[in-house]
Amino acid sequence: MDRETTAEIERELDEGGIAAGVEDSPGMKITVARDELVAKLGVVSRAVSSRGTVQVLSGILLSAESGVLSLAATDMELSLRTTLAAQVEGDGAVVVPGRLLVDLARLLPASEVTIEYRPDEGIAHVVCGTAGYRLNTYSAEDFPRLPPVDAQLHAIGRVALLETISRVARSASRDESRPVLTGILVRFEAGKLVMVATDSYRLSVKETELDATAPELEAIIPARALQELSRLSPTAGAGSDTVELGVHENHVVFGTGDAWLTTRRIDGQFPNYRQLLPETFEVELAIARVELADVVRRVSVMAQRNSPLRLRFAEGELTVSAQTQDVGEAKESLPVSYTGEEFVIGFNADFLRDGVDSIVGDDVQVKLINPLRPAILVDPTGDFTYLIMPIRLAG
Amino acid sequence: MRLIVARCEVVYTGRLTARLPESTRLILLKSDGSVLVHADSGGYKPLNWMTPPTVIEEEPGLIVVRKRAGKTEDRLEIRTAEILSDVEQPMDELSGLAKDGVERDLQEALAERPDRLGEELRLVRREWQTEIGPVDLMCRDCDDGWVAVEIKRLGTIEAVEQLTRYLGFIRLDPAKELCRGILAAQRFKPQAVTLAESRRIHCVEVDLELLRGEREPELTLFG
Repeated sequence: MDRETTAEIERELDEGGIAAGVEDSPGMKITVARDELVAKLGVVSRAVSSRGTVQVLSGILLSAESGVLSLAATDMELSLRTTLAAQVEGDGAVVVPGRLLVDLARLLPASEVTIEYRPDEGIAHVVCGTAGYRLNTYSAEDFPRLPPVDAQLHAIGRVALLETISRVARSASRDESRPVLTGILVRFEAGKLVMVATDSYRLSVKETELDATAPELEAIIPARALQELSRLSPTAGAGSDTVELGVHENHVVFGTGDAWLTTRRIDGQFPNYRQLLPETFEVELAIARVELADVVRRVSVMAQRNSPLRLRFAEGELTVSAQTQDVGEAKESLPVSYTGEEFVIGFNADFLRDGVDSIVGDDVQVKLINPLRPAILVDPTGDFTYLIMPIRLAG
Repeated sequence: MRLIVARCEVVYTGRLTARLPESTRLILLKSDGSVLVHADSGGYKPLNWMTPPTVIEEEPGLIVVRKRAGKTEDRLEIRTAEILSDVEQPMDELSGLAKDGVERDLQEALAERPDRLGEELRLVRREWQTEIGPVDLMCRDCDDGWVAVEIKRLGTIEAVEQLTRYLGFIRLDPAKELCRGILAAQRFKPQAVTLAESRRIHCVEVDLELLRGEREPELTLFG
């Protein structure tokens, strides 16, 4: 590697970026522990692009320098990078097909793996025990420059952050034609973390008290990226109680353990969720959460092909039923503290199940207005709200 | 159409040789020369078939269907051991398969209710001709501005490109140089929405059943 290139890598590392966009070196040779390599590949491989339009994005960038191997992958929306200790005999960088490397690394027979890249061949040699592979590579020059991670970072409690994500993420939309709804509104305000997700059929709001002071900020972050952070944290962040958070103009950075995740911010106006939350209700009652969840799960088996779950509230009893034409029907009751006129309301079975499953605590506080207005499920602590639109019932 | 139910053996010779052993089968002889041999299983596909033009020769216990295939001849020999039923049924004139939910249905429904495109629009003309083809609907908005509407089942990048081309020609007329574009579709590819937005083309998702009032819209928290 010439001096200029080395300086460039150093500069990028100083900036917190990985050595993407560097020229191929004369030769890179590293030796790493197989198990650690497998674990770290598992971390970054989730950002490997599955779309074949830009080939280099299907690869994992390996950069070796000063006894450290850095791994990075991106699909241009999400990037993941991490490092592992390596015996480096030659610095350099190369992009190796991601899926292939992950698959073969898992199967390698010995405890140490040597990866050698010779630019003149354009081939990466993977040697482990008596097993040897020659992998075609992509040029590190073609790998996109990843967003820097050197923003002002704030330490956020890991458990609080991940729990908040897990409570709201399923309400985010998967419909890419409405990008704002595929994100989670993340807001830090006065010692509190608020996350909101909605797909227009349901809406989840979770407020979490934070131990430490947090920055005042608001961003719409792709739900997928936050869910990746949840998957990442238990392994990559083991031993760390906090997740580092940095917010840039166009992207957000999360650091946990020795892994970094960056994701773009979603532009747009998130729905004003406060306006959507009704304030008065006709029916309010607490239902034992586990019992309700079990009944909903059992009856949902017969709510196929978008058939609704039918909830009939009568004196002292809630009856949940479902019917699918040509399949069959199910009905089950549980005792509830309901008094008043009979009230029937329909819900999408999956959405109701998600809502009940998102509640933590012994009881679900159920609040209803009428069969055509949104219903609300609330945590006993009151810090989580799940708003769900009913389905019109025929007849 | 002639329908024969017979216990028969069928031998095909041509590009290959195949034999169906004797069994009870339905033989359809269509007036266009098609011949199909069906069993009471195997879905909609016949066991043997011959497409027109064919020559059909018949003698007691044997139906021979022949067709030229290049320099060779395809030949289907149906050896009937017992005829269980043999009926000739006149059929109605050919009428095409009526597909619902195609672009024309959407166009008709939106022509009747252009306001379902999310704003107050009034229809000026369906199939508004441009030099390169007709745009589906030409409308005017509440400010009398021109709005060209292209309707697709699936909103793709190609659909955006098509509407862009129409708009290019429509805007050549100074009176319509501010003409806006709306792409209406039952579903959109995300890339198409991005491209449309970059060209200031508004994308509107439409549902034919809702347009026709055949079902109530789903209840949502917001539009």
